[in-house]
Amino acid sequence: MNLKISALQFTREVKTGNISVEDFIGKTMEHIEKVDGNLHAFLSLNDNAVNQARDIDKKIKSGDKIGQCFGMPISIKDNICIKDTKTTCASKMLENYIAPYDATVITKLKQQDAIFVGKVNLDEFAMGLSTEFSAYGPSKNPWNTDYVPGGSSGGSAVSVSAFECVASLGSDTGGSVRNPASFCSTVGYKPTYGLISRYGLISYANSIEQIGPLTRTVEDAAFMLNLIAGLDSNDNTTINNNNADYLKDIDSGIEGKKIGIIKEMIGEGINPTVLSATKNAISKLEELGAICEEVSLDMVKYSVAAYYAITTTEAGSNLARYDNLRYGYDFSVEGYAFNAYIEKARKKLGPEVTRRMILGGFVPSSGYAGKYFLKALKVKSKLTRQIDEAFKKFDLLISPTVPILPFKIGEKINDPASLFLIDINTVTANLTGKPAISIPYAISNGLPIGIQLIANSMNDKLLLQAARALEKTVKLPEVPI
Amino acid sequence: MVSREEIEHVAKLMRIEIDDPTIYEGVDKMIGYFDILDSAGVESEEISAREIELSNLREDKHIPFGEKLIEKLNHYKGTYVRAPKMV
Repeated sequence: MNLKISALQFTREVKTGNISVEDFIGKTMEHIEKVDGNLHAFLSLNDNAVNQARDIDKKIKSGDKIGQCFGMPISIKDNICIKDTKTTCASKMLENYIAPYDATVITKLKQQDAIFVGKVNLDEFAMGLSTEFSAYGPSKNPWNTDYVPGGSSGGSAVSVSAFECVASLGSDTGGSVRNPASFCSTVGYKPTYGLISRYGLISYANSIEQIGPLTRTVEDAAFMLNLIAGLDSNDNTTINNNNADYLKDIDSGIEGKKIGIIKEMIGEGINPTVLSATKNAISKLEELGAICEEVSLDMVKYSVAAYYAITTTEAGSNLARYDNLRYGYDFSVEGYAFNAYIEKARKKLGPEVTRRMILGGFVPSSGYAGKYFLKALKVKSKLTRQIDEAFKKFDLLISPTVPILPFKIGEKINDPASLFLIDINTVTANLTGKPAISIPYAISNGLPIGIQLIANSMNDKLLLQAARALEKTVKLPEVPI
Repeated sequence: MVSREEIEHVAKLMRIEIDDPTIYEGVDKMIGYFDILDSAGVESEEISAREIELSNLREDKHIPFGEKLIEKLNHYKGTYVRAPKMV
């Protein structure tokens, strides 16, 4: 059984009867058992997955209507609610939390007969970019297990890269889908803000975060987007995509398209190997008929500070609910005064979450709001104006997804400020609401490099077409697991 | 640069007890990093807000959940959440 096939290949193989869903899911679960002790992508597994696969096989055999996923094994980041299953956010605070409802993306995938093989690891409450801040221990990069897989959707990227599923859903607040996709050599897609419902995604920074797919191919990302995008009455920030078909015409190519190379994302601090791969990708796009020119977005240098000022403020508010009364671990209320009780409950939050909650109290507080929060909002506005201006001239923008190569586990964990700067190329798409994708492009000394393309809002289809064109120029080695 | 006392004051307001000394350094470093915003030159910039059309809002009607959510809480009595004493 070949577990290395793409999502679309999987559906074709099941449709033609070449493989049974039960066999594929059974082998997938065996493979997870075999490799995940080392990789630690999963926080929990679906013990019922093989039974669900058997039911789908029966539906296929009896000619019943079957959803477009045909029993495809998908992993789900553990901050997205699946009814009656644990949703921990990789936090001790939600260690025993059972979601009472399905996120909209889960409802949609269930309707299409997807099988959720398990919930995958993340930095606690999605706050981090290496998965080292999970309360249940870090995930490891399948390309080299001494290295981080990126984050915060590290478990999603590892599970796709290591063939533990064919696709995964993550969430992207400042690059949390694209960063691990780049570090693990998978495709990672952050849609236009509002294209995918956030209902049932446990909130970190509502104004900029989005759910997004991690897949083996760009076509698979388009396929997943077809299944989960669109208006949702439970999330009033969703936008109408008129049932766009993102797979249709995906091989249209990029001839004649204008691509801006973001100057501030290939400058100071960039790893020379990453820079070289980026230049190579630009040459390939030019060979395909694109016209590439440098463009300056000078607000990019303030984007990381603005991003953290805004997200910590929203996180401070969102995490206030974890007080052990509405959510949280169980200990008796007897014998405690109110404040002492909540302080004790919040000790279950890890150091990064605690740090960001305190920052989130500081930034909007009296005497500091004008200095930090309002300025951050102004940077966000100016950056949005600058990128909108750039899109009057260019169809797409390009940069490396992450300016450095994956780093060793533990190498940067004690220096949050230097960790935050790794987000420099990804936060712009979040702050401005633009769609962005990371495409696996190169392997250097056994470590992956991803290239990021960004498009204007609602130009997700064009973005996927360009990503597909770039993807077709690349032949990468297989992950050494 | 923020003082240890300022960090403790904010933490107290947020009902967070700091018992990890690295938290002070981490918060101070980040606040220090945020100072870069002073040189962004955005004083005259208007803050743009996302607008949501009223027509995009769902109808404001009661939809019963179908399960007793109160029973999913750790501490409840009847239809009330049990909390520690305020005074």
